Order: sequence, then structure tokens, then C-alpha cells
Amino acid sequence: MTFLYNYIYYIGCFGLVFIGLYIILVKHNLIKIIIGLNILDTGVNLFLISIGYIKKGTAPIFSNPGINPNRMVDPVPQALVLTAIVIGVAVLALALSLAIMVYQHYGTLNLRKVKQQRW
Amino acid sequence: MVNPVLLIVVPLGLAFTVPLFGFISKKTVKYIPVVAMGFNLILSLLLIPRVLEHPLVLSIGGFPPPFCINLTVGPLGILLSAVIALIGFLVSIYAMDYIRKGSVEKYQMLYILLLVGATGAVLTGDIFNLFVFFEILCISSYALVAYFGDSLGVEAAIKYLIQGAIGSTFMLLGIGLLYGMFGTLNMADIAKNIKLQNSIPISLFVPLALFITGMGVEAAIFPLNSWLPDAHSSAPSSISAILSGIAIKIGVYGVVRVMFTLFGMPSIFHLLLFIGIITLLIGELAAFGQTNIKRMLAYSSIGQIGLIVFALGIATPYGISGGLFQILSHALSKALLFLAVGYMIYRTGSMDISTFQGIGRKMPLTSLAFTIGAFSLIGLPPFIGFPSKFLIVRAALAKKEGILFIVLIFLVLFATIIEGAYFFRVIQVLYFKENKENQDKKDAPFSALVPLIILTVFILFIGIYPKPVMKLLRLASWELLNKMDYIKWVLGAG
Repeated sequence: MTFLYNYIYYIGCFGLVFIGLYIILVKHNLIKIIIGLNILDTGVNLFLISIGYIKKGTAPIFSNPGINPNRMVDPVPQALVLTAIVIGVAVLALALSLAIMVYQHYGTLNLRKVKQQRW
Repeated sequence: MVNPVLLIVVPLGLAFTVPLFGFISKKTVKYIPVVAMGFNLILSLLLIPRVLEHPLVLSIGGFPPPFCINLTVGPLGILLSAVIALIGFLVSIYAMDYIRKGSVEKYQMLYILLLVGATGAVLTGDIFNLFVFFEILCISSYALVAYFGDSLGVEAAIKYLIQGAIGSTFMLLGIGLLYGMFGTLNMADIAKNIKLQNSIPISLFVPLALFITGMGVEAAIFPLNSWLPDAHSSAPSSISAILSGIAIKIGVYGVVRVMFTLFGMPSIFHLLLFIGIITLLIGELAAFGQTNIKRMLAYSSIGQIGLIVFALGIATPYGISGGLFQILSHALSKALLFLAVGYMIYRTGSMDISTFQGIGRKMPLTSLAFTIGAFSLIGLPPFIGFPSKFLIVRAALAKKEGILFIVLIFLVLFATIIEGAYFFRVIQVLYFKENKENQDKKDAPFSALVPLIILTVFILFIGIYPKPVMKLLRLASWELLNKMDYIKWVLGAG
């Protein structure tokens, strides 16, 4: 159980990554695929956060002398995640607007039926 | 003092002022990318002599390198940024007349952002920053592929978006793993920490694999390239030229930078050789069977990427110079081909090769440009494709590793023959077939002919006199092969 206790964040985030990948690979509905992309993104963001996380850690505020530096959470991954979330939102918004256009042109969201172009 | 950060900041600023200019007057919008890329071109050319003397390392935010986001402007970075600016400049001149439908402001804004992403990705020295610029490039190219909003473009864009998004997530995962291991995002610092001899531990192999898959999607190396023919053939021709000329090269740059500078282990370079050869053969064979001209050019891009990856995988100074030379020659030739084809499609209203019968007499300059681009891509002597392919073949032959390289070179030359076959077929249709329907076609307008002529001049000039370019390429290949020098530039001698 200690393994589970120590690595629960990593297990959780890779679980999300694999769920996301599974959805993208298996589902045919475009909206479901976009949800899958979002879950994949969330998994990776959670992974980045958990790299720098310390249990019962605090924010790294150096002007407060009472905090022990060993208890500080690494702020860099959090900055990365902030950027990654913004990028994720942009991709998601674009994907949804393209989904609307796919529906307008093809009358379906099933990607199996959207195949004018092939090798 | 010219500061390399201006290469990123000025176009980025101009990109976001595009809607404001659109507010004042719709006509001014189309000049903004020309100004932005012209500025970048001049600045890159001014920086080249300084960078050749000593690479510029720029720390942003006032901290010394391992702690800040830094720009590392080495010979490779400045060379690629000059190529990006040159192609971007010429294509933006072309697009002034070519892009009339739809909301022009959005097109021009996304176009500048795409090129900013590309420039930033080649100049940055920080791996997360590389990811961010990569995403700027990718997101703007997803949107630009669907610019016309027709059914083909939308389908291609959504396919591209799904694959690209998975790829960039993998890359982010790789960055996370490396950060977890070494606690740094600076590429030189990570490179210093990775000391590989002959075997690679699984903890480093996973991030390497994630990086290659992640950036490989954008680079269109073999199993990850199913988006490319759709996206490149459905986009507006000016965007196809940029995607083929610039965007996929940035993917290759990413893969190569990670493999050479970050990991730098000789035994993984063989992987590049085999990926390259398979990509080359698949691309050229698929191109041979196409009847749609833009799809044919897109498959040919896959093939050329294969050749570039193959040349970089040789991992000798000549091999890498050859690969980088091929990047330059493919960027110029493929941009020329797509731009020339753009107006042929515009005039005939069809992408089918058979409808271009007799175009050679009616649109002489455009057809001549197409022919020169095709000859250069095949590698015929007076054009730029010849020295680059010659360098690659020579580098592979110099690598005395028995029968392996002989077989690989045989395959490369075989692919070139296929390439020749399908390009000559198009040229035959252009010049030696007659068609009554194409009697009243005019040549491309002046603003489109200018970039075509400039590209042709570059292709001829560098093809005849490749020496100065070769010197620059040798220094750039030195940057890739000598991981230690790169670390020393950024982190100092310590």
C-alpha cells in the first residue's frame, strides 16, 4: 500500500493519459475525440504538477523567513502548466470550431464517414 | 547593437496589430507580413557575420543562463531563421494578390504567427520555450489549412489537429520527464547532465521516444505522416508553400536538436537513417501514383523530408551539411513549385494534372518557374538541388561501413529516379500537349511573378556558386555534432 500511497499522483495522471489516448484511438465521434484530447492534456498537466509537488509543502515565498526551503513546492512546473493550459484551451477551441464546420459540411460527426481524402 | 530577440518580438507585435490596421484600412493589411518578414530577413543577414564570429547567447530576465529563458543564436539557428524570413517574405509578396477571399486580416495575422513560431523554435535555448513556439506554429497552421472553409480543408485541418495535438502532448510529457530527472529546462544544462556512452537507460529512452514521436508528427517522418498530403493539398497554395518549405523543417529541426544536442549518442543516429529511407521511399512511391498536382507535391515533400532525415542520420560533418543544404534547397524549390502551381490551379480551376495541357505556352513564366523548381528538386546540375544531393551521396559513400551504405545510397538514387519520372510527366503535359480549352489563359500577375523570379534566381545562383553557403553549413553542422561546444557557449567554460 505504501507504493500506492507514494505514487498515487503518477498512477492517476498516467491513468488519465491512457484513458485519453484510448478514447482518441477507439471512438469515432469527433466530440468524443476532442474530449479525449482534453483528458490527455489534463493528465499531462497533472503529471507536470506532481513532479514539483511536496506533500504538505508551501508556496515559495522568500520574503517570509519562517518557511523552510525544503518544504517549498517547485514553482517552475506550475508556470509550465499555466502555459500548457492556455495552449490546451486554444487547441480545444479551434478543434470545437472545426467540429462545427465538419458538421456543416458533412452532416455528421462520425469521422468514419468524413473521408473525401485518402492516400 | 542589433539584438536577436527582435527577430521574435517585432513580428509578434506586428501580428497583433494586424486587426487594428484592418480597422483603419483593409488595404494596408496585406503589407504588414511583407514588412515583418523583410525586417526579419535584414536582421538575420546582419546577424550572420556576428554569429559566425561568436554565437550569441541572450538571457532574458536578467538571470544567468541555467536559470533563465535564453536564446541561443548559433550558426544553425541564424541560418534557419534567415531561410524562414526569406521564404516568408517572398510568400507574403505572393499572397498580396493571391489571397482575396475570406477575411484577409485573419489570414495575415495567422501567417505572421506561424513564422514567428518557426523563428522562435530555431532560436530558443530552452526546451519548454521550444514547445511553446512549436505550438504557436502548429495552432496557426491548423487554422490556416482550413482557411477557405471548404469541406476538404476542414477535413484535413481536423485530422491534422488531432494528430498534432497528440504529438505535442507527447512532447510535453517528455519535457516533464526530463525536468523531473534533472530539474532544469535549459537545453545546454540538460545536455550536460545526460552522459551517454553506448547504451541508453530506460529512464532516458522514454523521453527520447516521446520527443521523436511528438516532433515527428510535425516533421512527417514515416508512420506519423498521414495528415500531410491532406493538409498540404487542401490549404491555400501560399500556405502549402510555407507548410512544405518551413513548417515540416521545424519538426526535423526539433528531432535533430533533441537527438544531437540533448542526447548525442552515436548509436541512435542509425535509427534516423532507417526512418529517413523508409519515409523517402514511401513518399516518392505515393507521389508517383497521384493525379492531383498538389497531392503529388505534398507526397514529394514527405520524400524530401526522408532524404533530409537520412542525411542528418549519417552524422558526419559532410552528412549533416548535406542534410542542412537539402533543407535549404527543398525550402526554395518546393516553395517555388507550390507558388507556381497556385496560379496554374487558379487559372484552370482544377488540380488535375491533365487539365494543365498546353499551359506552358500560355503561362510561360509560371511554367518556366515550375520547371526549374522540378529540375532542382530532382537534382539536375545547374540548380541548387544538385550540390545538396551530391553532398549527401558523397557523405554516405565516405562512411565506410560495408555494404549497408551502398544499399542505402542505391535506394536514395532509386527514389530520385521515381521523382524524375513523375516530375517529367508533369512537364511533358505542360509543354508538349495541346488543349483547346486553355487558349485564353493569362500569365500570373506581377506580384506573383516577383517572388517566383527571385526564388529562381536564388536556386540558380546557389546551384552555380555553392561555396559561401557551404561554409555556413559546415559551421552549422559543427554546432550539431559538438555537443560540448554548445554547452560551453551557453553555460560558460565551467
